[in-house]
Amino acid sequence: MSIVPKETIAVIAQSIGIANLSSDVALALAPDVEYRLREIMQEAIKCMRHSKRTVLTAEDVNSALSLRNVEPIYGFASGNPLRFKRAVGHKDLFYIDDRDVDFKEVIDAPLPKAPLDTAVVAHWLAIEGVQPAIPENAPVEAIVAPSENKKSENSKEDGLLVDLKLPVKHVLSRELQLYFDKITELTVTRPESILCKEALVSLAVDSGIHPLVPYFSYFIADEVARSLNDLPILFALMRVVRSLLQNPHIHIEPYLHQLMPSIITCVVAKRLGSKITDNHWELRDFSANLAASVCKRYGHVYHNLQSRLTKTLINAFLDPSKALTQHYGAIQGLAALGTSVVRLLVLPNLEPYLQLLHPEMQLEKQKNEMKRKEAWRVYGALLRAAGKCLYDRLKLFPGLLSPPRHPGWRINGRVATSHSNKRMSSTNLSSQQPPFKKVATDGPTGAMQPIAMTANLQGAPDGFPTRSSGTGVGQPSTSGQVPMKTTGGRQEKGGSVVPKGSAVLAQAWKEDLDAGRLLASLFQLFGEGVFSFIQPVEMSFFI
Amino acid sequence: MEEEEIQKAVAAYLRKKGFTNTELALQEEQNRVSFSSNSDHSVSRLENGPVRYSDGYSKLRLWAYSSLDLYKHELLRVLFPVYIHCFMDLVAGGHVHEARNFFHTFREDHESMHLRDLQKLEGILSPLHLEEIELSRSFRQNKFKIKMCEYSYDLLLQYLQKTQSFTMRGVINEHIDFEVSPGQPTSSSGDADFVTIEGRNNDLVRQINQKEIHWGVLEDSLEQHLERPVSDSEKAESANKELVLISVNSLIQKRPLDGGKQGIPVKMVKKDKLVNMVGKNVRSETSAVSVAPRVKPELTLPTTLVEVEQAILEDLRSRVQLNSLALPSISFYTFVNTCNRLNCSSISQDGSLVAGGFSDSSLKVVWDISKIGQLVKTSSLHGEKESAKNENLPATEEGKKPYTLFHGHSGPVYSATFSPFGEFLLSSSSDSTIRLWSTKLNTNLVCYKGHNYPVWDVQFSPVGHYFASSSHDRTARIWSMERIQPLRIMAGHLSDVDCVQWHANCNYIATGSSDKTVRLWDVQSGECVRIFIGHRSMILSLAMSPDGRYMASGDEDGTIMMWDLSSGRCVSPLVGHSSCVWTLAFSCEGTLLASGSADCTIKLWDVTASTRASRMESKSSSSNRLRLLKALPTKSTPVYTLQFSRRNLLFAAGALSKCS
Repeated sequence: MSIVPKETIAVIAQSIGIANLSSDVALALAPDVEYRLREIMQEAIKCMRHSKRTVLTAEDVNSALSLRNVEPIYGFASGNPLRFKRAVGHKDLFYIDDRDVDFKEVIDAPLPKAPLDTAVVAHWLAIEGVQPAIPENAPVEAIVAPSENKKSENSKEDGLLVDLKLPVKHVLSRELQLYFDKITELTVTRPESILCKEALVSLAVDSGIHPLVPYFSYFIADEVARSLNDLPILFALMRVVRSLLQNPHIHIEPYLHQLMPSIITCVVAKRLGSKITDNHWELRDFSANLAASVCKRYGHVYHNLQSRLTKTLINAFLDPSKALTQHYGAIQGLAALGTSVVRLLVLPNLEPYLQLLHPEMQLEKQKNEMKRKEAWRVYGALLRAAGKCLYDRLKLFPGLLSPPRHPGWRINGRVATSHSNKRMSSTNLSSQQPPFKKVATDGPTGAMQPIAMTANLQGAPDGFPTRSSGTGVGQPSTSGQVPMKTTGGRQEKGGSVVPKGSAVLAQAWKEDLDAGRLLASLFQLFGEGVFSFIQPVEMSFFI
Repeated sequence: MEEEEIQKAVAAYLRKKGFTNTELALQEEQNRVSFSSNSDHSVSRLENGPVRYSDGYSKLRLWAYSSLDLYKHELLRVLFPVYIHCFMDLVAGGHVHEARNFFHTFREDHESMHLRDLQKLEGILSPLHLEEIELSRSFRQNKFKIKMCEYSYDLLLQYLQKTQSFTMRGVINEHIDFEVSPGQPTSSSGDADFVTIEGRNNDLVRQINQKEIHWGVLEDSLEQHLERPVSDSEKAESANKELVLISVNSLIQKRPLDGGKQGIPVKMVKKDKLVNMVGKNVRSETSAVSVAPRVKPELTLPTTLVEVEQAILEDLRSRVQLNSLALPSISFYTFVNTCNRLNCSSISQDGSLVAGGFSDSSLKVVWDISKIGQLVKTSSLHGEKESAKNENLPATEEGKKPYTLFHGHSGPVYSATFSPFGEFLLSSSSDSTIRLWSTKLNTNLVCYKGHNYPVWDVQFSPVGHYFASSSHDRTARIWSMERIQPLRIMAGHLSDVDCVQWHANCNYIATGSSDKTVRLWDVQSGECVRIFIGHRSMILSLAMSPDGRYMASGDEDGTIMMWDLSSGRCVSPLVGHSSCVWTLAFSCEGTLLASGSADCTIKLWDVTASTRASRMESKSSSSNRLRLLKALPTKSTPVYTLQFSRRNLLFAAGALSKCS
């Protein structure tokens, strides 16, 4: 009947020392207990209302009790919610978890932090009926349009439905800001330091720096434009780009449009670095590879990325008014994009371009040594690009290995003296230069002698086996210098290779005449330099 | 056996004598007796079976719900009284278990309307409790009054006759008064009328509400002084005008006092004169002079200070005119780190002082809002001279604390109020005392003891010096600052008096109570002059319009009601808040009403629209609603206090509560 069961009454009676309360009495008391409880709660609600609260607290109940002149229940006035525990073995019997407190503990414990004192802060909730968008006001208020006044005249409460999009405030944590500042400072001031390298590693692997990407991309774009004269910084910036591209946790696509111009700038800019000694070639190579890798990775997302890039590069390449450095960058960039790009875009233009380039390369026509060197650089780059293309073709068709020999042979016949030249090149090669460098440096000497182009007429036929046995390096760029060094061991295996090569000869002719023609034309244009790209193929075939 | 033998003997005798008629009559009588004993028996059997209550009620309910829509809402009104009384009859008959079942079965029907009553009655478990609860006693002693149209009444009677449900008929007969009106049923939206008025002496209420009320503003108010410097600079003319005013007043006093009629000619006279003289009297319409000079002598006003008066005049002159298009600026004072202990707050007229009453019985008065940062603008733009004066005071712990701590109470402080000029502060507490503090001396001046229970609310009169308090002891009291005993005790509410508010002309106070009524009391006589019935839950806040014509009251459910004092009727209920309305404030011209609620919003309502409409068609008072102009949400801060400054800047205060 009553929500207070008579058992509860009996328990309470026991707790105050009445052991044998008859059940009739308990039954009669129960309704009254419930009634009193309800009465007290009504009063407590009243007290709660007057304390301007909507949540009832133990304090309110105590006030209600004191209104009735009843001793309040002590010990529950703390703000913490009471923790009730279920009594073991009973379904619906609860008690308050009141653990023993050791005095010693309490005394030894450090004083708790003093609570903050009450204070009053003032702000404008509304100015002439319009709520200013300040942090003190509820966020909804910011959405309220100023024109709400007029609207609310006709209908009520529609003002809040007005939905305006506000500029999103981007909040960076202090740590991220510090990180960003540190990195940017490092790249600008100490690009070569070990710390900077560490930073690059961190950029490449850190997972939490995504919020910084827009800042980095802006920083890079800004800094590249500003410090075109400072090669180390440019290099460092490009390394930062690489690190960012490497980072798997970063979603960098939205910022590529900002990054790509900077990268391309580093590829095809007219001047990079302020000093002559600056090795801007390296930066161009690096950036070209970077651009190519971007294309490779995000080409499927941005369909016009590669086409735009190649367009930019080919324009730079085909414009004779552009500086040779730019041409170099363009060639490198195109080469990095892959052999098919080279084959489609560079090779058709190769012949006219070389005709333009040749005068620059010759001592008598170009007196400026700087320019000449640049020309030879470009020549080297072209050679490599074309060679790579050829190499690729040859890899596709291993049998094509033989066709190079035929033109080779043919040209061999034409060459009369090669001895001096050979000696010369070998001396040059001893200076441990990269292959195009070698080409560039020994080129002029070769150019003086009309027959220099075919210097290695005799090296060509027996050169393949040499490399495969001697170095086994297989890198086209470095293999150029090998044949001269390992002259000793070339004969042993050479004999066995050549017959094999000739055995495939006929089949190769059938397979792809184009490649053969390509090589032929390349040979006509570049001379013996082309052959350096063939050897690895030979090797792969050999193995 | 004997009786039968006697009857037989008598019958035989009569037959023998040939008195056939007499014999028949006798037989008839005997039959009736036996029938009546039978019926007695059946009634007692039914009495034992309390099922008839729930049966009867559920049938009635079914019938009422399935009646025609046109009459349905009227018939439904009958259900609640029947329900309550059935329940109480059951309890009184000792069928507690059945009573409880009955109560819970039909509880949902009435929860939306009468939740608080149901909560109170729910606890009743024995006939003794019935006696104890005030509410049930009032239900028992008084009759409900229900308004119905003729046809619905007929329908009900027909139903009761047809179904032969004596119980229901008995209950309805005993506890409900029908006020049958001819014609069509009232519109169903007229809920406000409907609220089954607990017929607490209905006649008395009607009688009280017919008493005359002089709701005009004070005749010598500063508002009128304002017109002097504005209208003409020449002193001679102003003196002239004062003469006229005096003559008007004397004219008024000479007139025979006869109720409401006399207000109009006075208004007219005054209006004409003022228009003639000043030509700029904007508020002439509302400034009908109150004809209650008897309170005046009592009011030894502190406005004698010339500089204060000047300051007020200055404020009045630079007041911003507010209306539905020009909304006020609101400066919000947020109490932080209160740990839910802030019970009340008060803001002085000029907004320079803020006081907070806490449940740890302390009172914190924050000095100089201008100094606590951010709001420097306030003092420079709107700052009154008052604040400048306060700044020069020796603030004791200025460096350490931004506030002054007032200790003195021994229980939670439930209310605080600043005197109109900010030099005094009153606080009321659960220790049943009211304390007067000086904000200049930073000390307690007087402790007023008189109430026997917690004092829920205390309010300074608009002119200062007098104040009113309301308490759990069901009384409201009027005090003056210089006496420690109350001047008047207003008794009459049936439950706690929760809030109190002065009328603009200081002749009346209004009190809101947990018995869901608002009463208006004459300060001079201490009599109740109006009872406003219509709220459905405890009344928490009251506000009087500056022209003295209207009163707004807010309750626990978030309903605000606007009352016309003279008619005692609700002008319009304002629905919008979803939780307790803690505070209400009228703007200085009375065009806007601001309400602050526990649902963390301040809402601005257009007063003029509703009152204008009500003037045009007074009948449909319930249908037109005050227009909500704007709802301004705060950042999880329930609004405790609202205060319009004399320049119509709105100040609001509340405690930031994170756990909600």
